[in-house]
Order: sequence, then C-alpha cells, then structure tokens
Amino acid sequence: MYDLELVENTKTVNGLLARYGVKFGIYKNNVFKEQLFPFDAIPRIIEKQEFDYLEKGLKQRVMALNLFLSDIYSDKKIIKDNVVPEDFIFASSGYMAECEGVKPPKGIYSHISGIDLVQGKDGCWYVLEDNLRIPSGASYPMIARDLCRRSSPHTFENHKLCDNRNYAKLLRDTMEYVNTGGHMVILTPGRYNAAYFEHSYLAEKTGAHLVASSDLRVENDMLYYVNYNAKLERVGAVYRRISDEYLDPMNFNPESLIGIPHIYDVFRKGNVALLNAPGNGIADDKGIYYFVPKMIRYYLNEEPILNNAPTYLPFYESDMKYVLEHFDQLVLKDVAEAGGYGVVFGSKMTAGQKEDFIRLLKKEPRRFIAQEVIDFLDIDVLIHSKPVPRKADLRAFVLMAEEPLVWKSGLTRFSRNPDSFIVNSSQGGGFKDTWVLSQ
Amino acid sequence: MKKLNFDYHMHIAYSQEVEECYFTLKCLPPHTQRQQPGEIEFLVSPSRYWSRGEDSFGNQQILGRAEGGHRDFSFHVKGVVTTGIQNYEAEGTENQIAKYRYPHGLTCPGKGLLAYFRTIKPPQNHSPYEWAVALMHKLHQDFSYEKNVTDVTTTAEEAWNGKKGVCQDYAHIMITLCRLAGIPARYVTGMLIGEGYSHAWVEIFSHGLWYGLDPTNNIPVLDSHIKLGNGREASDCLINRGVIRGGGTQTQTISVKVEEICNGSDNSIANRQNGANHDKNNRISKDAGR
Repeated sequence: MYDLELVENTKTVNGLLARYGVKFGIYKNNVFKEQLFPFDAIPRIIEKQEFDYLEKGLKQRVMALNLFLSDIYSDKKIIKDNVVPEDFIFASSGYMAECEGVKPPKGIYSHISGIDLVQGKDGCWYVLEDNLRIPSGASYPMIARDLCRRSSPHTFENHKLCDNRNYAKLLRDTMEYVNTGGHMVILTPGRYNAAYFEHSYLAEKTGAHLVASSDLRVENDMLYYVNYNAKLERVGAVYRRISDEYLDPMNFNPESLIGIPHIYDVFRKGNVALLNAPGNGIADDKGIYYFVPKMIRYYLNEEPILNNAPTYLPFYESDMKYVLEHFDQLVLKDVAEAGGYGVVFGSKMTAGQKEDFIRLLKKEPRRFIAQEVIDFLDIDVLIHSKPVPRKADLRAFVLMAEEPLVWKSGLTRFSRNPDSFIVNSSQGGGFKDTWVLSQ
Repeated sequence: MKKLNFDYHMHIAYSQEVEECYFTLKCLPPHTQRQQPGEIEFLVSPSRYWSRGEDSFGNQQILGRAEGGHRDFSFHVKGVVTTGIQNYEAEGTENQIAKYRYPHGLTCPGKGLLAYFRTIKPPQNHSPYEWAVALMHKLHQDFSYEKNVTDVTTTAEEAWNGKKGVCQDYAHIMITLCRLAGIPARYVTGMLIGEGYSHAWVEIFSHGLWYGLDPTNNIPVLDSHIKLGNGREASDCLINRGVIRGGGTQTQTISVKVEEICNGSDNSIANRQNGANHDKNNRISKDAGR
C-alpha cells in the first residue's frame, strides 16, 4: 500500500521534525525531559467507507457527551431517571461544583474532543476513552503530512486521500462560532508544557494569538489582551491549553501561578468563550465511559454506532463477581488516572499483587473499571528499516461548532515495545500519519 | 424574629507596596426565607473597578481589581437584616443538594473521624434534623474552642485529632459527620450577634429544608445569626479571597459589630474588636510570581 519513496524519507522527515521542535515533554521523577516524538512513515490507512462509519459514530458520541455535560451542570435529568448513579458524578474528581449553572456560549462544552479508538483483529473498532478536556495531538499528523508531501510529492499524486491540512481552518471556525466578540487566542502554560510545540504550531496555523497568562487581563467583567502598547484589546475566545485546576486562582486552585484571576467569572457572565469549557473532566472519567452507550440512547434516542470495549463496573455486584472470576483476562483501570497511568493487567500481577489489588478493589469498587483485553489489530512499524507489527491506537478529533465535524485524519500512536498495549505518548511511544482515503 | 444592624469592616496593611491585586468578596447577606437584608452599603478601597455577580453556590460576590502601589486594602459593608423570619431555607431545586452529601476537600474523613462517627449512636426514630442535632451536641462535648492551634488549611480530620480549634473546625468536623450519616450538610459564613469576628456554622438538609446549626455554640440558628455565604467547605465561600503581586507581609484586621434594633432605639449588645487576628473566613493568598 505504502510506497518506497515515503519510507525512504523517514530519516529526513524525523530530522525536520526535530528541527521544528516537534517534541514531547515528559516529567519523570520530577525532572522535565523533552524527547522527540518519533515519526514512523508507514501511514495508517483507513478506507473511505470505513471512515464514513467512524465519522457517524464519532459525531453521535460527541453530541451525546455534550448533552450529558450540559445536563450534569444544570438539571441532572440523567441521574433523576436512574441512568447514571449519583455516585459516579459527585464522588468523581472530574465533577466541579464550581461550574454548576454556568452556561457556555452557544451551550457547547466540548469544542475539541479527542476520541481514542482501537481496531480489533476482527476488524471491529472500539472506543477506549473520550478526552474532552484539552486533548492534544492534532498538530503531529498535520506537520508530518506537510513534511511528507514535500519530501515525497509523488506519493501524494498516486494516492487519493483526504487532505488533512484543513485542521487549522476547522479549529478556527470552531473558535469563531463561539467567539463573543474580540480576538481569538491560544493560551499556553509556556514552553515547559509537554505540548508546547502544538500550542505554537496551532496558533501559527490558525492565526490566533499565542498568549501566556501575563498577556491577558480581566477588567470590568471582560477579558482583554494587553498589546505591545500596553493597550487593552477585547478577547472573545480562548483556546486554553491550561487545565481547569490551574486556569483561574480566584475560582479554582488558589496556588496557580499560570492562571488568570477572574477569567472564569468572565465566562460565567457569558463574555468570553473558553474552549473547552471547564468541568468537562466528568465526561471523560473512566467510570462515566461505561455509561456513554446508555447516554446515547437516553439523550438521542438512537442506538450507539460505535462500540465501547466490553467494560465492567465492580460497583455493581454482578460485575464485581464477573471481575473476580475472570481477573486474569481483564485489564483494570483506576478511574482517577490518565495518560496510561493506573492501568494494570490481571494476568501480569504476582499472587501478592493480585491479593493487594483485590482488597483495594473491594474497599473502593467505584474507583476501578475492568475491561476485556482487546486483541488489537497490529500495524506495521519500521524498526531498523524492517516492518514489524506493533500495537497502535487512533485518536480521532471531533470539532463542535454548529454541527459536529470529524477531522479526516487523526493521530495514530504506537507502542515501540512489542509486549506493550500502552501507546500514550507520555509513555514514550511514536506516531504515524493517518490517511483517510477519499474514494 | 429580630432586626439586626451590622457593620463588617476588613482592613489589610501591607509592609510593601502592592502592584496589583484581584479580589472576590462574598460579603453581602443574601435574601433568604430566614433573613431579609435592607439598606446595604458597600465600600471597597482601593479599586479600579468592581462588579457584582453570583457564584455557583448561590452566593453574591463582588469582583474587582486594584493596581498602582497601595499599602492598604479594605472593604466595609453595613446594613440592616431582619433575621428569623423562618427557621429554615428551602432549596430551589432538588439537584443542588447532592453535592453537599459527598466528602470534599477539607471535609474528607480520615481514620480518626470514621472511628469517632461509629461511637455516636443515632437517636431512636430520628429525622435527619434530630440526628444532626445529636451529632452537634456530641461534638460540642468532645471538642474545645481554642485559637491559634489550627489554620485555614486544617482539615476536619486534623482538627479532630487535635481536639481543639475554632468555628471553621467545628463546622468542618460537623459537616464531615453529617455526610457520613448521609445527611447533606453545608458550610455557612456569617456574623453572630455579640461577636467581634466573622463566624461559621453549618446548615443541614432535612425533609426538604435547610436548617442552621451552630456547633461552636451548640445552638440552632434562629435569629441571632446573619448569613453571608455557603458552600461545600470554607474555601467555596471565603468572605475575602485575593491574589496580589507585591505587598510583603500583611496584617489583617477585622471588626464586626452586630446589634439588635429594638423599637427604633439602639439596644446594643455588640462588641467591637480590633487588632491583628487570625480570622478563619478570610484569606489572601500571595501570588507574587504572576
């Protein structure tokens, strides 16, 4: 499927990526380390028909998740109607009471959603998790495609694939749709953030201002950009790449040095759009994940198009029984953790670890979910110039403006370690471009 | 029912100039079924601007910013509040109750409070209100009032293990116990007749209504308390929250005067207290790096 020219240019493209600063920063033992995010030139290819199916499913899922967020921070009908038990909302660290009753511009909570999928050996796609806070990763396939087009132009003449370089326009339209009047900015915590390359790249490509907190100021219930002349210019939309907790020391963590005091109060009064809205953590909670298919039926009155990985909630007695009986074939996830942390495989535990874990599971059943281990369809990765099969997932991006739109590409992440199922970039994996064929 | 005259004054003196300061003040008494404020006057200085709003816990808030080298910051609010119109508050919507049933922040129980809770026997055929009153009596017996042994960051568990603290600690421990008993409970800030400080107590939810209980004084909240704000714990309804740049060290002074108005004449039982204090409901966090 892929051709030689493309593959032969892997080294060149990786060299250019390094020069452009396409890096991923990780904290290990409290030390910040920047590392290259290795690019593998063999693309993941998705046929048009297959992507059409994914697209439909992703739109449906993100619609339901937005309705869920809007419901949870207002009427909470889904709790009253006994679809989601109250415990999974209020005992979750993702629920933020500080966001109760606040209506974001145009009612959109998750403008940019990153939905992680895997394909099983049976060809069936499964959603592994929803990322509705500030999912990163779109910039990597964007720049990789751009560099590959330059290094192997023939490849792109010979294949009919959807151009993915429209992401910047989609993002810009998404921001514009909720803009309350004024500049559009991308707010970064700064260059020591793991995704700083992405912040600066998206700002450059969308034409939004790249700002740090000291460039923004709240006055009289409005948000302003302090320009080079120290004059204030109104800001109407902030694609903020700072997590909820650190966004506003007057409303959230008072210790935050990277936040903007009162920015959330400006949002509360409807005078600025924050992408994504604070409080979204409740929707990508791993415990809530279990309920997404139920949510789709509840809010949209439709059958879910995409499958969840088969998931059990030890919170329910019957599920607990199943989990204990099939412990060795399940993967267990701590709902409070993200980025590939807090994930353990039943089969890989020693007897002692298992005993400890089961004790904890029985003590705090709500804290864990258990999933069947999906036999991923391996995809080829070049290692020492030879294609070898590796586990990979796909982060699809859904942008929500008037209608949800699915970007016809996505971030394919793979594990370099043949035994590992964990592909998160914070765990040191690499990435691929994702080709969606146009016919 | 009482008609109370109140006067709340907060002043911070800084050892060095403050370059910039943001403040959120939850210092205005809300209109509820229990109390009705009137003739409210509010002053804050310095401020470049301030505006009003409401937070997600239903509290009135004043937001503002000051800049340009000041060494003082103060606000002053006074007025008249009719209290004890009812001895409860009704909740507007059912769905706002649940968040007060779950542990949060400083009110998460540890081993000490879990063990203590198990030693308290609920009264026979109790309503949530009666159960909460029993918890209050027990706590009042087993915990003693002492200043300067706890601070604003002390958790209910830590305060309980030390067996001493102030109104914030009483309230946090009682909230923790009530939630363990399955009773929704919230933290309340305000003022009490005859007190020189701001005060804190608890509201518990029983049969569709919120009732005030003051564990520091072991009394139900009737008409001697003026409520300012409420939340899951102290940090949701700090009377005064701020972020400053510069300022050096700060000395905060709070004086509160609450007196009953009887037949138009001023029958004062207030006391006024000045001087550096360690009031629990006021916090200015320093944010020099911004």
